[in-house]
Amino acid sequence: MSEFHLTEDQQDCLQELINIAMGQASDQLARYLDTFVYLKVPNIESVDAKELMHTLSQQKNTMAVVSQGFFGYEGIRGEALLVYQEEDSGRIADLLGYEPDELSQDEQLIDISSILTTTFLNVFARQIDNQMSYNAPKLLPSAKDNLSEHLQQMPFSWDLALKVNINYQVTDYSFNCNMILLIPETAITNIKDVLDRILAEF
Amino acid sequence: MSPSVLICDDSNMARKQVLRSLPEQWKSSVQTATNGAEALTILRDNSIEVLFLDLTMPGIDGIGVLQGIQKLNLNCSVFVISADVQPEMQSKVKALGAKEFLRKPVKPDDLINHLQQHGLL
Amino acid sequence: MLDFNALISTTPDTLTFNEQVLKQINSQIANQLNTGILVLDADFNIVIWNRFLQVHTDKVAENTLGQSIFSAFPELPQRWLSRKFSSVLQLNTPSFCSWEQRHHLFELPHTRPITTDSEFMAQNCTFLPIETDCKGKHICILIEDVTDVCHYQTQLQKTLAKLAQISRIDGLTQIYNRRHWQESLEQEYAKSRRHGKQLSLVMLDLDHFKLLNDNYGHQCGDMVLIEVSALISSLLRVEDVFGRYGGEEFAIILPETSLSGAIGLAQRICNSIAATALTYKDQTLKVTVSLGVAQLSAEEVNYEELITQSDNALYQAKALGRNQVCSTACSTSLVID
Repeated sequence: MSEFHLTEDQQDCLQELINIAMGQASDQLARYLDTFVYLKVPNIESVDAKELMHTLSQQKNTMAVVSQGFFGYEGIRGEALLVYQEEDSGRIADLLGYEPDELSQDEQLIDISSILTTTFLNVFARQIDNQMSYNAPKLLPSAKDNLSEHLQQMPFSWDLALKVNINYQVTDYSFNCNMILLIPETAITNIKDVLDRILAEF
Repeated sequence: MSPSVLICDDSNMARKQVLRSLPEQWKSSVQTATNGAEALTILRDNSIEVLFLDLTMPGIDGIGVLQGIQKLNLNCSVFVISADVQPEMQSKVKALGAKEFLRKPVKPDDLINHLQQHGLL
Repeated sequence: MLDFNALISTTPDTLTFNEQVLKQINSQIANQLNTGILVLDADFNIVIWNRFLQVHTDKVAENTLGQSIFSAFPELPQRWLSRKFSSVLQLNTPSFCSWEQRHHLFELPHTRPITTDSEFMAQNCTFLPIETDCKGKHICILIEDVTDVCHYQTQLQKTLAKLAQISRIDGLTQIYNRRHWQESLEQEYAKSRRHGKQLSLVMLDLDHFKLLNDNYGHQCGDMVLIEVSALISSLLRVEDVFGRYGGEEFAIILPETSLSGAIGLAQRICNSIAATALTYKDQTLKVTVSLGVAQLSAEEVNYEELITQSDNALYQAKALGRNQVCSTACSTSLVID
């Protein structure tokens, strides 16, 4: 157990905050997409760097990864990775209400990722009285080699990653992707402080 | 006079949040459950008058509990407190007999208001 | 240096003055930024634009402010962009558009006309939700000039592609080098094993090449290597992989080819080289090659063994008097000595 590990209470608190954020984000998305979004309980795991690298390299048909940095007050920052499997990408244009010929597949992936990441993190930030700003989302070159290369080249060492499995089911078809929040060491300490502050209120 | 209360949520923090929001005189007679199955056992064996129920839980979820209450023909006021705030979900739980739908995170004033509206305070 | 804290005073009188100063500073910064700033109301009409856009477009304020962004900039993809704008307003989240997916949104000229591929400025655009005290939300569009980034990135990609090509090629003969050839064999071997397809190999060697070098010099030797490589290349299919294996030794991977097919090709190579007269400084040279052919069978456990098989056959062709083709199917009696 490293000092970056969350205690049971912190984990519970974070899970609850993420559930609420995901719920509100789905509601906003449903309104924007004008459809019912069925949301499964997001499955949250905290994983260490090596484990994550291993899991990701095991995923055979990872088609695309979109990365987007986020920055909040009190040193809460990190990078959100959205990982798509091949079969998930077919109808993103439909989902977003675009005509397929208006934009490339890459741009569709980037658009949906940015919407998911920023909608979710905005609600999350609001709950902890914070506010986020974002980098432009970037599509990492496909293939898993590039992903682990990307992870190795991160400017910060990150000991903890939060893996949030999001499963959005939209009225007539389901849409899956994994959201992985990479949190650098220093930010973990800051997040723990925030969680402790919330827990102290009880 | 304080009614018998059950709070069902898989999150410890969420249970505490509800507990904190309850009227002071109610707090002595509160039981808790961490999942739907546990809640149904307590509901069956005790006469619970007010249930605060989360929807998304592992195993039997909130919807399952509402269906169980209907099946067991229990007389219990259910307040759903959920993160899943889409209108479709709200109408679904009301159709299953829930008195009210409250958004997470629950606010004390909000909760008290709803209890008053339903004549429980 | 400006002390911003000094500008913010608590007394009401000076506060109004200082707000005025801050406003001036803000507007001057906005006008001198090397980034385009455009603010739209909820109906996508332009309410603010900064100097960057005024100087980079031929438009005048009167015809731009108050106009719909889509009539002021008719080049914009209206359907898609409106949908993006509504996501900003409705979800209260920023949205982005990168030159990597879409070179530019606004048709603005840039100042590097010679070196770049596009006549328009490459752009990174950001769309931000803006909330003010005044009713109704706004969208702020930031337009960054990334023509340099785009240009250098494109150059880098071209250079990398060129480098990758160079690293695969033998400098003298312009056919594949040994490293790339061997990697290809490894892949073809795996493919053939996986799909149960045939695979054959030809190894060949110039006969008496040392003598040629000794008699006519190394420049002549080089010329022969170049000519022979070109001649063999002209006899191959696109899917065949032809490489320089060592000094005067060459190798050809023949995917989906039977042993008899490979022997046929080897024989054609042998014949046409023998029949081609090469000249060096007015002297006619007689050049011949020996070739060894092998086909992948169930026996080999790796690709190296296939190389050994064709190498043995090549050795046999040499032993039998050169200028001929031998295969693993030939009698092996001569190989013993």
